[in-house]
Amino acid sequence: MSGQRPGGSVAPSAAHLIERLVALGTTHVVGIPDNDTAQVFERLCGHPTIRLLTVTREGEAFAIAAGLWIGGQQPLVIIQNTGLLESGDSLRGTAGRMGVPLLCLVGYRGYAKMLAAKLGTAPRPFDAATLTRADVDSAALLTEPTLAAWGVPFWRHDSDIDTDKVVPNAFEVAARQSQPTVVLLTRGFT
Amino acid sequence: MLTKDELLAPLARLREDRIVVTTMSVLRPWARHSQSELDFASADSAMGHAADLALGLALAQPKRGVVCLNGDGSMLMSLGTLATIVDSGATNLTLLIVDNGTYEITGSQPVPAQGRIDFGALARAVGFRRTYAFEDADEYEQQLPEVLAGVGPVLVSVRVEPGTEGPLARTPSASAHYLRTSLRESARRLRATLRG
Repeated sequence: MSGQRPGGSVAPSAAHLIERLVALGTTHVVGIPDNDTAQVFERLCGHPTIRLLTVTREGEAFAIAAGLWIGGQQPLVIIQNTGLLESGDSLRGTAGRMGVPLLCLVGYRGYAKMLAAKLGTAPRPFDAATLTRADVDSAALLTEPTLAAWGVPFWRHDSDIDTDKVVPNAFEVAARQSQPTVVLLTRGFT
Repeated sequence: MLTKDELLAPLARLREDRIVVTTMSVLRPWARHSQSELDFASADSAMGHAADLALGLALAQPKRGVVCLNGDGSMLMSLGTLATIVDSGATNLTLLIVDNGTYEITGSQPVPAQGRIDFGALARAVGFRRTYAFEDADEYEQQLPEVLAGVGPVLVSVRVEPGTEGPLARTPSASAHYLRTSLRESARRLRATLRG
């Protein structure tokens, strides 16, 4: 069956995620697609209630989302972890500094390689030798330590069950604490 | 070349109920011309992202005009935003670039390609249908009503004399009204104003 892992679990559904985002009151999705989130972006094109806005650099996404929120909307950002690292000052200085309750879905590039190299729970920060290994992606190695350093709460997302539990929880924490939160997408959507 | 006051005074007279986002070297001067609750200072924020923020406001408030007083250095930091603005379909955004050729508030260092950048050409290349460039105060003042009245997005590049504005800081004693509160509080106040 398409979308299944060797272990048998089914990849998360883009349609189901979008249903959940609608239920949470999302008005706009701002971001840049990657292979794992391409289905989500495709399904959002022409969506009746969520307006999709693609940007040229991830830093734009946080500033635009901040403007949308100040203007009374409920935006959401979808980018990849590489873009998250690129957009650090924008996240800090706009959504973060403005206290915008903003949920960000972040594609976790390199997550599977990190697990395969048994580095998923290794002590951090990683040393230079680890960060330059050919069999791992330093974007993945640096994602969680970076979010922790920035004070951004984050959770991992792996399945439709997480779509129902992790996504609403991250949304609620963002609203309650008036700050950005991140859900790390460890698997591609179908 | 215009002075900052020649740039800002006519805009303050004509802005009506538009949101005005300011940043960098005109941020404090604008506060001498306007005390509106619809002014927002992109200070203590992220460098180069005022135009993005203004785009978000414009998309959120499609029935209200939004003017962004952006710096030339700031615009250069996020040129891709020009494409995003056009692609967004926003028709209520006026992006006014204060072209003084310097990073004024950090010590007036020259921006890259100082004096050689044609922002109007860059904007037209990504699809802006309306662009203006001004170097003369009278011409600017005369045409500003037309600039603001038409359908956006519109990019306006204005050559402005380099000044001596220092670094920006948010403190209770700041001369500019919108620098007396935190960025977070400013965002909440504008949100509340816009939600009525």
